[in-house]
Formats: sequence, structure tokens, C-alpha cells
Amino acid sequence: MINLTINGLAVSVEKGSTVLEAAQFLGFPIPTLCHHEGLTPYGACRLCVVEIGEGPGARLVSSCTYPVEEGLKVRTASERVVRARKMIIELLLASCPQSKVIQDLASAHGVRTQRFRQEYEDCILCGLCVRMCSEQMMAGAIGFRGRGTERSIGTPFDVQSDVCRFCGGCMHICPACQLRCTYNQPEKAICNACANLAPPCIEKEQYGDMMCYMNPCVACEIK
Amino acid sequence: MKTFQTVSEFNAYRTAIMDSTKDKKPCIVICGGTGGQASGSNDLIRIIKRRILEQNLHDKLSLRVTGCLGFCEMDPFIIVEPGYNLYPKLKMEDVPRIIDAAVKGEVVEELLYREPGSTVKRFSQQEIPFFQGQTRIVLGQNQNLDPIRIYDYLRMGGYAALEQALGKPDHEWIVHEILRAGLRGRGGAGFLTGKKWELARNAGGSGRKYIICNADEGDPGAYMDRSMLEGNPHAIIEGMIIAALAIKATHGIIYVRTEYPLAIKHATIAMRQARSLGLLGRNILGQGIDFDIEIFQGAGAFVCGEETALIKSIEGKMGEPRQRPPYPIAKGLFGHPTCINNVETLANVPYIVNHGAEAYAGIGVENNTGTKIFSLVGKIKNTGLVEVPLGTPISKVVHEIGGGPVGNAKIKAIQTGGPSGGCIPASMFDLPIDYNSLAKAGSIMGSGGMIVMDMNTCMVDVAKYFMSFLKEESCGKCFTCRKGTQRMYELLEDITLGRGTPEHLTLLEELAQTVKDTTMCGLGQSSPNPVLSTLRYFREEYERHINDKRCDAFVCKQLTGAPCQAACPVDTEPWRYVALVEKGDYEGAYRVIRSANPFPAVSARVCDRKCESRCSLGAGGGEAVAIRALKRFVTDRVEPSVYRPEPAEDKGRKVAVIGAGPAGITAAHQLSLLGYRITVFEAEKIPGGMLTCSLPAYRLPRDIVEKEIEGLMNKNISIEYGRALGKDVTIQSLLSQGFEAVFLAMGAHESLRLGLENEDVEGIFPSIEFLKDFNMRGKELARGHVGVIGGGNSAVDAARIALRQKEVTGVTLFYRRTRDEMPAHEEEIEAALEEGVRIETLVSPIKVHAGEGRLAGIECVKNRLGGIDASGRPTPVPIPGSEFTVNLDTLVVAIGERPGSGPLASMGLEVDKGGRVKADRNTLETSTKGVFAGGDLVTGPNTVIDAVASGKKAAHIIGRFLSGQPLVEPARPKLPGVYIEPAVFEESGEAPPRAVPASLPVSERVMNFREVESALTEEQARTESRRCLRCDLEFTMQQPAEKTAGAAIGGVRHD
Repeated sequence: MINLTINGLAVSVEKGSTVLEAAQFLGFPIPTLCHHEGLTPYGACRLCVVEIGEGPGARLVSSCTYPVEEGLKVRTASERVVRARKMIIELLLASCPQSKVIQDLASAHGVRTQRFRQEYEDCILCGLCVRMCSEQMMAGAIGFRGRGTERSIGTPFDVQSDVCRFCGGCMHICPACQLRCTYNQPEKAICNACANLAPPCIEKEQYGDMMCYMNPCVACEIK
Repeated sequence: MKTFQTVSEFNAYRTAIMDSTKDKKPCIVICGGTGGQASGSNDLIRIIKRRILEQNLHDKLSLRVTGCLGFCEMDPFIIVEPGYNLYPKLKMEDVPRIIDAAVKGEVVEELLYREPGSTVKRFSQQEIPFFQGQTRIVLGQNQNLDPIRIYDYLRMGGYAALEQALGKPDHEWIVHEILRAGLRGRGGAGFLTGKKWELARNAGGSGRKYIICNADEGDPGAYMDRSMLEGNPHAIIEGMIIAALAIKATHGIIYVRTEYPLAIKHATIAMRQARSLGLLGRNILGQGIDFDIEIFQGAGAFVCGEETALIKSIEGKMGEPRQRPPYPIAKGLFGHPTCINNVETLANVPYIVNHGAEAYAGIGVENNTGTKIFSLVGKIKNTGLVEVPLGTPISKVVHEIGGGPVGNAKIKAIQTGGPSGGCIPASMFDLPIDYNSLAKAGSIMGSGGMIVMDMNTCMVDVAKYFMSFLKEESCGKCFTCRKGTQRMYELLEDITLGRGTPEHLTLLEELAQTVKDTTMCGLGQSSPNPVLSTLRYFREEYERHINDKRCDAFVCKQLTGAPCQAACPVDTEPWRYVALVEKGDYEGAYRVIRSANPFPAVSARVCDRKCESRCSLGAGGGEAVAIRALKRFVTDRVEPSVYRPEPAEDKGRKVAVIGAGPAGITAAHQLSLLGYRITVFEAEKIPGGMLTCSLPAYRLPRDIVEKEIEGLMNKNISIEYGRALGKDVTIQSLLSQGFEAVFLAMGAHESLRLGLENEDVEGIFPSIEFLKDFNMRGKELARGHVGVIGGGNSAVDAARIALRQKEVTGVTLFYRRTRDEMPAHEEEIEAALEEGVRIETLVSPIKVHAGEGRLAGIECVKNRLGGIDASGRPTPVPIPGSEFTVNLDTLVVAIGERPGSGPLASMGLEVDKGGRVKADRNTLETSTKGVFAGGDLVTGPNTVIDAVASGKKAAHIIGRFLSGQPLVEPARPKLPGVYIEPAVFEESGEAPPRAVPASLPVSERVMNFREVESALTEEQARTESRRCLRCDLEFTMQQPAEKTAGAAIGGVRHD
């Protein structure tokens, strides 16, 4: 067992668990976006940052990837953490305002404005779908390509993947496009993740094709 | 090659090589590194080889093609040993002479290195300041070896350290040695290498263990790792083998970018050679140790320099950093313990083992031992690789080794540590270069990139450039790094495009802080550094972009427009009248000039030509368009009546202007056009201020001033002469007499004093008094031998005027720095010298000798130039014992002027220590409502055109004040708005040189006040106007509508 303090509370948790698991076990809420219990932690969205250490050495780390250490001092909602989280949500809102998950997060954290140039992207590159595909569906059909602003998710060379079984797991887990899947006009919904099969999809000749021309978003974009 | 099975066998071989080849014949050393090859060293090498073959010089001369020697600015250059004569920037045709001379043991003097602008020849490499200031314990070896010959490396004692390391059965001592040496990782973060090795040694069991040499050098402008790997690969291989022994590593990998083909080639050859000697591979020198190195070529992603990303990249995965812990030491490449060291760190290891930890720790400062190689690039004379002990002040690297700024512009800052480093302003150049000091200053050591920036570098643009690099090179995994860098770039782009608002800055800061806080790897955490450090030290520059829509470095195009126009304080459109001169429309040109500037003829003679100093033609290495000469051409030829604006209907509201100098008259004229009744109060009997009292008539004829001022008068303006503020009127009396606003523009008419004893004896005159008495009253105060103290324009004016006075026998000007630092215009100094003024530089007066209440002479002390002060000029330092006395009959003190603002303080205005009235920079308001101030009164002594600009601005603001509008309008960038058809003409071979107006020969001007410079001829003017590059067309030509992204700020409310 590892002894550490979370928000001043001395606790001991099992070796090998992450700070996020420890905090959640103890009931300290930490918002997450790219985290999913059934998948390996990735640490991409940075929403779950917590403050560790003290004094000038204090720093923020993503709790989902940080393993508990003996004597670690964790603060899950310090001023610095809250400020950072709000900015992250603002950035998320600036990129993907249509996501229900992100809207809920913004609402829960009192973020009411975003000050950047508004974008309408379908993907925040959280990598849930990639991990879902390889870890749970054992397919590995999709992955990241490129870096920086060019980073995107898709199949190798954008060719329809041979290993994709059209399971829809990627869509199921996507936090960015839920609103799009159901949309505010149900007749425009396009995928089965929301169990809202509408005529436009069915009318397609090959239903399966729709899911794997994943450009730009694996989950639901069809172009 | 023989593969050695024992250490002693190898030792015998090695020492034999070291002893046998003490070659005495001259050797030509030339850089064959990537940089050298790019500058053409291959051609030189070919010529040298051919000549050696043709003339059969094998026994008389040898050639060594080395890696980078560091002095890349001078590439391609040759060093001839044993004299170490350095011949810089060679052309192919020069090489045979050097070879012939080298064979005979002679030197080709005219090709030797000399500092730019200097005539002193440096015979030996060691005499060159660039090399003198360095401690090249690592880089210096490059010069002595051909990287593809292991014999060269062995000859200079290579692999002795490995031999020593292998000699002892237990290798733990190496770790302690490195630890005691205090070597810190040269990759940037500065972790103790010994500590890392200790951890690595104790990590894991007896399984695989890796040592990786990180040669993924990605910083723009940094190339020291490449140069090391290219120039001395054996040092790195030796360092790696020693490291492997120390940490018990079984496998070595050199991770190097594919775009370093030469480095890869040299490293591969070196490894093959080491293997064949038995230094690498199975059973090293029979010691039962297996260790081999392979090269892994990275694809060139910046992020792969980060150790966890580097490991992933070798593993064949995407180069993405991961969370540490676990550190690679515990769980690295393929899950095995892995120790990653930078190229330079490893290159230091053989030195430490050979010379001992103490010797190494003696270099540098405490906790920052040893040397560091920096790649010194940017706006600096000596671009190249520089190796200095840690703790060396930045100023030494920049000014001594680097040779200072490359042009006239002062150095503003240096950027250290690559894209994720920060900028350090010139005011902090005393800072020692070490890991801790740089971090404290908000930058990082990084791998050692050092980019020098001068006044022509826009810091916002710099931040934008680095952000654009980082947004492309971020791995993209962390949302805050990927989006954060993109958003920071967008915000910075907005600011450079003139769309910035104060909110941009707030948001930028908040965002930068969040990115720094929340990203995972070193790259992400340091990615906001360019923004944060420029905001910390250059916030004003950001605010200037945002509030005034100005980019003072003239970099941001959308804020600059045509540089000549942006440079002009009164917003003249030089491009426009130059284009009209080309068309022969001189009246149109006059209208363009006059509409912006009420004093065209005066400006055509005495303007300090800010436009020309910014002309794109000049900036591109050529000579600026002679804009002022073209203006003179126009104003000499066109009657001012072609532009005579009519004043508006009298509004019946009164404004008082104090001072009838250029600022006051301009303000009065512009206000009169708006329909206000202006009364100008002037202390002297004639108008013109400094134009008439200070400027000599041979530069600015009096009739020109009179005519120009006369033309500006109209029924709304009246001037009351002989009425001085404080004596005849007060601000309060004016306000109570119904003047609704007062503009103070009395200039700076009080000379600064030397502060020496006897300064008030007869025969010593403050420059202003001396000039006024002559220019306004015709009194000649000087006689006999005249001394003038000072180096500014008024000093030179005083000297030249004194020279023209009847009883003067000679004039000497004393200045405390050298001629290069004299603030006076170069052509004025030149003219003064031509006319016979003597100039004594590096001299300061320390005593005034008086006899019978009259000046007898002065005692001076000689100076030498010291360190660079905050103004960017060297400080004069007195040399003790160098005092000397000069006999003088007259002394004019012209060390500067200050406003005579004594009376103003008693009228309730705030005045600073220099006598300057405090007025808001934007609204010109003083501390009293309705009272505005401008010109030299506010700025201290300044140029005519700045005074005119201030008067113009005052009129605009007072107009707004009187009509109850807010005083300032939101700033807008001043871009060219009128399209003028570009000239079509045949280009005849060589471009014509800049036109030079004719001037009076010395004999015809020295004893009189005839105007020295005359106007251009029509042909000269037309030719000159065709030299203009027409920067305006970029803004005025019909262009297809570009798709521009919306503002980076604005967003959407979600409530």
C-alpha cells in the first residue's frame, strides 16, 4: 500500500493505482474526458490535472497517468487547478461547441464564454476511439497520423481498413460528436451509436461504408 | 587494420602513432563540414588537391579536411599551420597564392583576417577576438583531425580515456569521476550526468541496458550537435563506450536525424574503424565486455528530441512523449533501462577522464562546470559556434566573441534555448550563462541556440515565428499543447495584423500560463516561453502594436505599410511624391508634401530623413532613395501657392500658443485652418525658434525660413513678439483672458553645464547663447583658438560658425567617445573636417584654467572605450595620468540642451529633472486642464520634423478638446491608399547609384554663409525617383480578395 495525502486527507491506496483512481475511490471529483475505465490511461485532454508537490516545486500533472507515490501531496481543486481546468474547457468549447459532453463540462464548471475564434470541429483527438478499437475491439483499424495542427485520426493512408468490423465502438465512445449523432434534428442523425437510425442512413446502399471513410472524424463525419 | 586483443597492445599502437607523426610540414586546414560545404569549401578543396598533385607538393604540404571549425561567418576559410594564419571568405582564385606562400612558409598578408571595418591584420588564429574569447576544450579538437581518419584522433590522444577506463576492473569510478566533475546534461535541462549514470548503473539486473546518444537536434539555428558528430565522431563514440562501461550498458544507439547525412556518414565510418581496432563490438580489447553502437535515423520531428518520444520513435511507434515516471532509466527502450545523453555531454566525457574531474570542475562556475557550445546566429557579426565556460556573461559572447551588431541597429535581445526558450533583453546582458541564471530570467539553456536580435527585430513577430514552429512540431497529444500553441499563434497573428486589442494580451497570458502548467512533456511546458518571456521584457512592444498600431521594428507589414511613410513623424507619403516626380508632376508632388508638412522647404534641408533610414532599398543592402534631395528638388521648383489651404470661418474661440518655433507655428497654422483664433507669444523678436537661432544659415538660409513661415500666416493668426511666458504672461493670465486652450512649445533653449569650476569666467559660452547671439543678432563672440565641447549637431554647428567668425584663428572640437559614436550627422562632421575644424576624440575636460577672470585653457583627460552601456554605446573610461592642457581663448560648451522650464513649475505644471514638461504621450495634456505641451519642451532636444509632428498633433487634439470630442481616436495603421501607375522604363544594365546633389567646394564656402548644398537637376531627380521600389503597390494594387481568417478573439457566448 502507498501512503499519500489527497486534499489534506491522509490515505493509503494500492500500489500501481493512479492518482485519478485514488481520488475517485475516495470521492473527490475530477473531471475527465479522454479517460475510460476499460481503456489504458492516455493523458491527452489534460482535464484531469491535479496539483502535486509543495512550494515552488508544485506542479500540475494529469492524474489519470500519474502513479501514486509514497508521501505524494495531491490537491484536486486548488486555485491553480481550477484556473487551468477552466481554460482547458474554454479551449474545448472553442473547438467543439456542439459536443454535449463539452457543453455539460462547461456548464458544470461555470464556463460561460469562450474568447477564441470559434471553430466547429468534430474531433478533439482524445484518442478514446483509437484505444477502444485496439484494446477492446482488438482491431487497431484506426490511429493517429501527423503531428501538431496536422494531427488527425484515421485509417492508414485513408484507405478503408481491412481489420475494421464496423462495430461502431469508436462512435459509441466519442465524446465530441454525440450531439451530432443525435443532432437537434433526429432525421439527420447518421449513426447507430445513438440508436437513432434514420432514413438517410438506411437508404445508403452499403451501410458499412459510411463508417470507415473517417475523414475528418472517425465517428460520424461522412463526406 | 589489426584488431587488438589486449589493452597493452592497443596502448603500444596508440603511443606509437602519437610519437611517430610529429609532422613538421605546413598543413592547410579547411572545413569540410556541412556549413563549409554550403559556403563552397568543396571547390577550394578541389583546387588545393589539384595543385598539390600538379606541383608535386606531397612532401612540402599537407591538407586536412576537417569538420566544422566554428567560424562559419568567414566560410569558406583556410587555416595554414603551423602559423595558424587564417584566410577568411576565400575565392577560388586566391587559393593558389596561399598554397605557394604556405609551401615557402610565407603569409599572404592582404588575404589575412581582419575585423570588419578594421585595418589591423590578424596573423594568427589565436589573435582573432572570436577565438581568443573562447575555451574550446571540445570544439577545438575538430581543427586537429579529419573525422574519417581514426589515426588523426589517435594521434591527438584519442581513446586514451577509454584505455584508462578499461584498465581498471571495476568501472564504478567513472561514475564518481563524472559526478565530481559536475558535468550537467548539455541537452537543455541540465540534470547531473553522474547522477543519471549512477541511477542507470543501479537500474535493472543483468539484462539489456541501453545508452542512447541523442543527436536529434531540431532547434532552428542550432547546429552544434551536428558539427560535433560530423567533426569529431570518435569523441562521441569514445564517450559512449565509457558511458557504457560506467552504467554496464550492453547496447548503444545514436539517434540522429536523417537530414544530417554527413554526420551519419562520419559516425558510421568512425564506428567501423573503432570496431576493426577492437574498440567496439564483442569482447572489447579482450576485456570480455560486449558493447556495440548502431545508428537510428529519426525522421526529423522536433518532439523526438524529448527522451520518451525518442524511445517511442526507436520502438517504431509514433513519436509521442509519455508521462514520467517511470523514467527511461527504470523502464526505457523496449522496457529495458535506458540512459539518454546528449551529443555534447558524451563529447565531454573523454576530456574529463583524461584530465581528471578537478581540472574539469575548474572550468566554469560552481554547479555549472565545464564549457558549453552555443550556436551564435542572427544579427551578429561573427555567426558561428562558440564554446565558452559556463558562467560567462552574455555580453562577452555577444560583444567580444560575436563582434557586436551586424549593422547600425542596436542589439535588443538574445533568444536562447531554441523555440521553447525565451528572450533576454540587452539590459540584462551581464547575466552569466548558466542553467540557473537563464531559468531565473525566464529562458532556458536548451541545447545552446543563441539568436541575436537587434532593433529591426519585432518581438511579437519573433514570438509568432516560434509559435508557428511549435504548433507544427507539437506532437499533438496533449490538447493544451496542440490547441494552445495554435491559439497563441492566432492571437499573435492578430496582433501583428493590427487586429489586436487589450483583451488579446490578457487572453494570451492566461493561455500561456495554462499551457505551461498543464502539458506533459518538456516541449509543451516550455512552449509558451517565447510568449511569456517577450511579454515579460517587451510588453511595451506588444502594447505599441495593439494601442498605437505601430511596429517599431518595421517588420509587421500590415502595421507598417510603406516603410518611408511609416517612418515619417508627420505622415508624409514619400513613395507618392517620388512616384509623382517620376511622372513629372512636380506640383502634384508638392501638394503631397505640403499637405502633410507645413515646412516643406525647411524639411528639405534639415530633416533627419527617417524615411531614408527605413527605405527598403537601403535595408536590402543598397543605398536608400535620396528622398530628401527629391523633396528639395520639388520645393525649389514649385511655388508654395499651389497648396494654400484657406482657413475655416472664424469660430470666435481663442487659443494661445507659446513659442514661434516649428512646433508652435505648425500648431497655430493647423488650428487656424480649423477656424480658431490663435495668438502666438514669442520671446524673441523674430519667429522660427531653433530654425533661426540655432541652425546655421549655410544649412538653412534665413529667407527660406521667413518665406515658409510667412506662407503659413493668415487672418486667424497673430504673433506677439518679445513676450515671454513667466515674464510677460502666465498660463493663468492667458486662461483668464479668454484663451480656451494653451499650447506650450518653447523648445529647449538652456545649455547644459559642464559642472566645472571657473565655468562662468569670460570667454566661455553655452552653445545656445553663442549661436543665438550670432544667428539672431550678428554678434561674433569667438576669438583666437576656439574649443568646442560636445559631439552633437549643435557642437558641430557651433564649431563651423566659429570658424567663420573674423577673429578666430582655429577651432578644435573635443568629444569624449570616438567619431563613430558622435551623434552629429555624418555629413556635417565630414563638412566640418573639410572646412578645417579639428576633432579630438576620446577626450573629456576636467578643469577650466582661468587667468585674470578670463579663460586661459582647459585641462583634459584621455579616455578609452569601456563596456557597452545601456544606450548601446561604449562608456568612456578616463585613463589616469593622461591629463593634458590645451590653451584656449574661447570655449563653447555644447554638451546638450534642456528646456528652460523654470517658470512653468511655478505655474503649477509638472516638470521632470531634465526640465522636461510632463505631458501625456497620447494627448499631450499637461497636469493643468486645457494646457497642452509639445516639441522639445516635452522631449528634450529633438529634431525639427519631430517638433512639426508634435505641433500637428497638438492642433488635432486641441481641436477635439475644444469641440468636446474624446481627445484620442483609436489608432489605425497608416497604409498607402492611392494607386499610382508604376513607371515603365528600359532597365539599362547596371542600376544607377543614389543621386548626390552638388555642393559648394570648400574654398567657396568656408568664410561665408552661402547654402552649401544645392538641389538635384531635373534629370538627376527623374533618375533617382525611378530607383524607388514602390513598396506602396503591395497595398494599393488591385489584388484578388484574399481569404483571411476572422479575428482570433471574439468567440461566442454560451449562456
